[in-house]
Amino acid sequence: MTNFNGAAGLHPAATMHAEEYRAGKLSRREFLTRSTALGVSAAAAYGLIGLSAPAQAQEAKVGGIVRCAMEVKGTKDPRLADWPQIANVYRGWLEYLIQYNADGTFEGRLLESWEANADATQYTLKVRPGITWNNGDPFTADDVVRNFARWADGNVEGNAMASRFPGLVDAATKTLRDGAVVKVDDMTVQLNMSESDVAVVPNLADYPAAVVHSSFVDGEDPSANPIGTGPYVPQEVAVGQKAVLVRAPNHTWWGGTAPLDEIHYIDFGTDPSTMVALAGSDEIDCNYETTGDFIEQMDALGWQKKEVVTAATIVVRMNSATSDLYKDKAVRQAIQLAVDPKVVLELGYNNLGTTAENHHACPVHPEYAQLPPQTIDPSKLAPALEAAGLTGAEFEVISLDDGFEAATTAAVVAQLKDAGLNVKHTVMPGSTFWNDWQKYPFSSTTWNHRPLAVQNMSLAYTSTGSWNETGMANAEFDAAMTQALALADADARREVAAKLQAILQDEGYIIQPYWRSLFAHVKEGFNVERHPSNEHQHYKWSVA
Amino acid sequence: MLIFIARRLGLMVLTAFVLTFVVFYLTNLPPNLEKLARSEGSVRMSDEAVAQWIIDNGHGGSVLGRYGQWLGVVPGWQNVDEKGVPRGRCFAAGTDPAAAPRYCGVLQGNWGYSTFFRGPVLQNLGEKLAATGWLMLWVMIVMVPTSLVIGVVSGMREGSRTDRVLSTFSIATTATPEYVSGVILVALLASPVTGLSPLLADWGWIDGKVLFQGAASPDKITFWSFTLPVLTIALYGIGYIARMTRASMTEVMTAQYIRTARLKGVSFGQVVMKHALRNALIAPFTVIMLQFPWLLNGVVIVETLFNYKGFGWTLVQAAGNNDINLLLGCSVVAVFVVLVTQLISDIGYVFLNPRIRLS
Repeated sequence: MTNFNGAAGLHPAATMHAEEYRAGKLSRREFLTRSTALGVSAAAAYGLIGLSAPAQAQEAKVGGIVRCAMEVKGTKDPRLADWPQIANVYRGWLEYLIQYNADGTFEGRLLESWEANADATQYTLKVRPGITWNNGDPFTADDVVRNFARWADGNVEGNAMASRFPGLVDAATKTLRDGAVVKVDDMTVQLNMSESDVAVVPNLADYPAAVVHSSFVDGEDPSANPIGTGPYVPQEVAVGQKAVLVRAPNHTWWGGTAPLDEIHYIDFGTDPSTMVALAGSDEIDCNYETTGDFIEQMDALGWQKKEVVTAATIVVRMNSATSDLYKDKAVRQAIQLAVDPKVVLELGYNNLGTTAENHHACPVHPEYAQLPPQTIDPSKLAPALEAAGLTGAEFEVISLDDGFEAATTAAVVAQLKDAGLNVKHTVMPGSTFWNDWQKYPFSSTTWNHRPLAVQNMSLAYTSTGSWNETGMANAEFDAAMTQALALADADARREVAAKLQAILQDEGYIIQPYWRSLFAHVKEGFNVERHPSNEHQHYKWSVA
Repeated sequence: MLIFIARRLGLMVLTAFVLTFVVFYLTNLPPNLEKLARSEGSVRMSDEAVAQWIIDNGHGGSVLGRYGQWLGVVPGWQNVDEKGVPRGRCFAAGTDPAAAPRYCGVLQGNWGYSTFFRGPVLQNLGEKLAATGWLMLWVMIVMVPTSLVIGVVSGMREGSRTDRVLSTFSIATTATPEYVSGVILVALLASPVTGLSPLLADWGWIDGKVLFQGAASPDKITFWSFTLPVLTIALYGIGYIARMTRASMTEVMTAQYIRTARLKGVSFGQVVMKHALRNALIAPFTVIMLQFPWLLNGVVIVETLFNYKGFGWTLVQAAGNNDINLLLGCSVVAVFVVLVTQLISDIGYVFLNPRIRLS
């Protein structure tokens, strides 16, 4: 392992990235994402490129309550959590080893620092000293090791963390490999990966990666016995109604004093117009998200608009595993190229984003590679259908019944109709839609922002990905992905990413029309941050 | 009289029996159980895991047997899951099954566990019913006097201008279903961007941004938040009851004894108040009692529209999430409310109309 305790104790690649930044090859945001992922602190990263880290806003006033409109889905075992909203409630008391900040940097929370060796096969994690659980137990390396074992357990159905650490898992037993996670001393943990992996840091910051106490019973509801390291505890979690976080009694939070006394989540159902009504009648101070036409309405109320440009997107995808209609690649390609992303962005999302290129890698991702533009040509659809013997066959696109998901899908369906496809649009309420989201033959799915392009791609398009919703099983793609996940250097990874993007685009499974800018609104006088991954980092919130 | 009440109660039990079995059968169809498994476990579970989940959580075996368990006439299920933890209907996972009772169904007072609320059905349903009770109370307080006054006034002089105006109003409101009138009221009075509220706010007539609140909460019942939901349900009923009252009133007003009273020189006010009113109110009384089941219907729409967490909202959530125990609980409550109001209506009828004898 490289010794980082040299001149500045910085990862050699960080200096290289700084040069790339100066040469204009990297944007500031990409530079920060990459260098902090290598263990460079945000302040040092800013220093490398001759900027000073943005000072934290002056000491926030302590006290006050923020009421936030958000669906309260109840809490469940963090590694099974399937919605950021679930995590936003347990974030009050459960914290993360590493945190992804809204500016694209990674920050150690329960870890004081981490280092990666040159080929990203070994990580050394330093536990932050002085952290206690709210029952008085000290937080140590044992807690870290135990949580890694929980995350790596592939025998637990629905474990969202299981596929994230391929280098730590024993493929035969689907559990943590012996010697993969080693406690060096009380404050140090070493990860010995069997293969290099660049996504370890972003994965540790993702919402299912909350760190739980040794008394936590796997699979149970964490709010039942809320032992955590964070500043708050749940006072009430009423599914579909509200959740209230209050300060943890008799607990000294390692981060000092979190400004807010209480955070209230109010569930308004899924109809955004109710949210506007609640805002108008002063029942809420901020919301989880504002979408579509409601952005203008919330602006009209005089609330602060918070915008963040993200790699969040919607994918209208075909599934060849559940329907024979989409087994023919030529048909998929023709369908994909019959849809003009510009039109979808305008009709489906009011131009509140940028067009995408049907390959699920976004220019904000560090490894994004520019591909030659696609030629949209609806006139090729009819011949392709005829060649496949599908002329006149009935197609059906399924989507949620409301919001931009419905509008976007409708825009896609309308263009397919114009191109001569016999297609209908079926809508479902959220409560039924999500039960089978991976299985629909042709449907739209929203995807959250993730810091690296390979993260979404490995989840969704590898043959073993836990969220594979297309039935895509391309050996070449799988091999390239394994290769990409071993390249810590984003420039090197870009070459592989170009291949991944090209295969994904060529397979024609997905119509991925645009990248969403995400919005939320906050009432004047409240400081609430908009995060690209919809994370609510409560300790940053305050009342002015 | 007692036989009559006993017969009615017997009918109620039988109806509840049939309805809960139908609901139980439908919620236990295999696709619904799979849906439940996915929402309770994780959307990412494989098909084998879903099948295992269904068996582990006591949804295996025959439908009749499970219905019997819910009733409490068949011993509750118990098994040991793959981790070796004993689980069962009658005890919390991990506790000693030997100490638990054998039967634990509705007959034993155990209404089961709600997967949606993550708590006992009885307690949650009780809270939600109380919330709906408040809504209904205010609806009744607004609806009954308003509709009776409208009905009596328009029925006093059939065909007069007052009658025509009030009848038009009644027909219009009763022809407008809740999901239409609710949306119109919200758009008109409770939206910060459309309708009257922005105008009023511009003129400085209201402090906040909206005249009335477009969402209500059982924690905080205020005139501001309750006006629209109450109005939405009440408007529909007002028209209906007013029309019934008017019809009954016009009929009574043409009766011989009213004419006799008028010819004897009794003033019009006296005739209406003393001679016509009691007889005219018999028909509306039944109609008002019949409105209770209709109200249950209305609260489903209104509570969803105004996001008021009461019985109607619970029913929608229970159905949407395939929460078997909660849906069964809701069905029993619905049967109870409908039949008890009918019983009250029949008994009240006897007191209002001496010509009618029960049994």
